[in-house]
Amino acid sequence: MKRLAAVLAMLLSLAATPALAGPKVGDVLPDLTVKAQLNPSEAAYLGLPEKTQGVRLSQIKADVLIVEIFSMYCPRCQAEALAVNRMFARLAASPQGARIKFIGIGAGNSPFEVEFFRKKYQIPMPLIPDADYVLHKVFMSVGTPSFFVLKPGRSGLAVLFFHEGVFQDEDAFYEQLLRAATAR
Amino acid sequence: MRMRWRLIPLLLGLALLPEPARAIDLKDMILDPGHLAPTENSVAVHPGDMAPDFTLPGLLLLPGANRAEQRTFRLSEYRGQKNVVLSFVPAAFTPVCSDQWPGYQLAQEIFEEADAVILGISVDNLPSLNAWVTEMHGLWFPVLSDFWPHGAVAKAYGLLRANGTAERAIIIIDKQGVVRYAEITDINTRPDLGHIAAALGKLGGPKAR
Repeated sequence: MKRLAAVLAMLLSLAATPALAGPKVGDVLPDLTVKAQLNPSEAAYLGLPEKTQGVRLSQIKADVLIVEIFSMYCPRCQAEALAVNRMFARLAASPQGARIKFIGIGAGNSPFEVEFFRKKYQIPMPLIPDADYVLHKVFMSVGTPSFFVLKPGRSGLAVLFFHEGVFQDEDAFYEQLLRAATAR
Repeated sequence: MRMRWRLIPLLLGLALLPEPARAIDLKDMILDPGHLAPTENSVAVHPGDMAPDFTLPGLLLLPGANRAEQRTFRLSEYRGQKNVVLSFVPAAFTPVCSDQWPGYQLAQEIFEEADAVILGISVDNLPSLNAWVTEMHGLWFPVLSDFWPHGAVAKAYGLLRANGTAERAIIIIDKQGVVRYAEITDINTRPDLGHIAAALGKLGGPKAR
């Protein structure tokens, strides 16, 4: 029986997909301040001073933070923009909406590019330009779009959920995000 | 015991089953050359210069179209008609280039408001460009092949690298054929759309002559 188990283990290891280096649940991302100017509604939503010149993710008034890493240039991000808007609205209207905040980080996007993307898709969530990829590196240089559910803490931002690439089913993906954000 | 060993071919078969098929898209076809020297050359044309004229084979594959329109494009055919943005990119199927032009697809209105057309230019041959633009699901502007004589147009504009690729550069030419903006940007990143929009804004809009 032991030999059979050993053979089975060997066969399963042959079939295993090589692990990709990237964020995983349990990782803690460093917290840092990035240059960003917030408009009044963004500042109010995030619970930050309106005239702030820098945003520190852990200072956002939220128990849990959902972050989309996007790019104006990314066709997948363009294709999913309206679905992300809908998820943001659902989350804001949900009973948990007050303690879960949802932001976007424009990887390699200048303020002009982020603003263009916002206007093009009438995006209601706060978007932070990251022209020099400073935040993108903190987020382990993931592809776009990518979604993180993060728990801010003293040591940094703990990853509760990570998804890279398109989501196939909007409702199912929303439920995944919400489940990760509200898990105890 | 014999029964258990009979399970092994079955387990082996299960273990070696091919992975479920998944759609392959442009992202899967990109070859990342790693970090490159940001620039190698200095642009050879400057604001106020007449833009060197050229003729190149190219294709226009509009989004939703089944087949690209192939023809020869001459810069001077736009004289008196349209402002022209030459967007030189290093090579097809590379990371930055593969989202720069889809970004211009989204930003079409910025160019149209300035009565400008983009001519995308790469040193790749036409079949490669056709495959690349097809994977982008089409573009509103034509893409030109500077393949042979290899990189001749890039060279005329001071943009041909030693390895045969081109610099990443934006050249804006007004309706009189005069260069109004010329910039080589870091090959590893996209040119800021804000800089392009600002330069286009100085041309005077759709009624600019």
